[in-house]
Amino acid sequence: MNFSEFQNQARLYVIGALEPEELEEFENARTKFGKKGEDFITKCYALHEAFALSLRPAKASATIKEKLMSMVKAKKEA
Amino acid sequence: MGQSKLIASTRRKPEKRVRLAKSRPRAVTVVPQLEPGAPSDLDLMQGIQAGDADALSQLYDRYNGILKALILRVIHNEAEADDLLQEIFMEIWNQAKNFSAQKGKPLGWMVTLARRRAIDGLRKKQAYARAEERLQNETEQQPDAWVNNATEEEILLSDTRSLIRKVISSLPPPQQQAIDLAFFKGMSQREIAAKTNTPLGTVKTRLELGLKKIYDGLKEFRDEL
Repeated sequence: MNFSEFQNQARLYVIGALEPEELEEFENARTKFGKKGEDFITKCYALHEAFALSLRPAKASATIKEKLMSMVKAKKEA
Repeated sequence: MGQSKLIASTRRKPEKRVRLAKSRPRAVTVVPQLEPGAPSDLDLMQGIQAGDADALSQLYDRYNGILKALILRVIHNEAEADDLLQEIFMEIWNQAKNFSAQKGKPLGWMVTLARRRAIDGLRKKQAYARAEERLQNETEQQPDAWVNNATEEEILLSDTRSLIRKVISSLPPPQQQAIDLAFFKGMSQREIAAKTNTPLGTVKTRLELGLKKIYDGLKEFRDEL
C-alpha cells in the first residue's frame, strides 16, 4: 500500500468504515508509515468535528445539566 | 439551542480568520471565539482532569448543543438523546484522564466519544428497528438531509457550519448518503451496499471520493478545528 492509498484508507478508518479484511492491511501500513501515518490519522479525526459542526445544535433538556452536576458531585464525595 | 446562543458559541476571533477558497464570499474561521479571559477547551479539559467540576460545567455549556445534535442525528429520539448526552458528559468526566492534547483537540475527542456511544446505543436498543424505519422514510423523502433541510435559519448559520455544509453539499448525493450512513449510523460498507442496493465496490469508491473531497475542502482550516 502506498501513502496515497493509506490516506484513503485512513479516512475510512476514522469513521469506522473499513471492512474487517481491510483492517489488517491498514494496520500493517500504519506500522510501515510510522509517525507520518499517525500524524495523518490524527488530522483525519478533524472529519469527526466537521460532521458534528455541520449539524444545527440541538437544545438539551434543562434538567440534564442539573442531573449531571449532581452525579459529578456525588462521585467526588464518594 | 437558541439562535443567539448558537451565534455566541461559534463567534470567531479576528486573529483566527482564515482565507478560504476564492469563490467563497468572505473569510471564515472555525475556532469558537471565547470571551476575554475565558478558558480554552484545553484549559477546561485539564481542569476536568484535575477534578474541577466547574470546568465540566463550562464545557457542557459550550458543547452540549453540538453533541446533542450529533446524538439526535444517530438515534432520532429526543428523550434517549438527552439521556445519552448526560451519560456522555459523565463519561467525559470519568475518562478525561485518557484525553491527550497530542492526539487531537478536546472537541474531536468528545465527538468521537459521543458518536461511539450513540451508535452503540442505537445498535443495542430495541428502538433500532424504529429508527431504521424512520431513517428509511427520511432517505426516501430526503435523499440527503445535509442538502435538503436548509431553511431560512440557514442564512443565519455560523460561518463554521455554513462552510462545512457547503463543502458537504458540493458532493454528489450518493457520496453524501454513503458518508451519512457510515458516520451517523455506523454502517459498514457491506451494510451500506445492502441498504442502498449498490455494489460494494461502488460504495467504497463513493466513501473514498466523498471523504477525500471533504478532507481537502476543509484543508485550509482543518488545523483550526
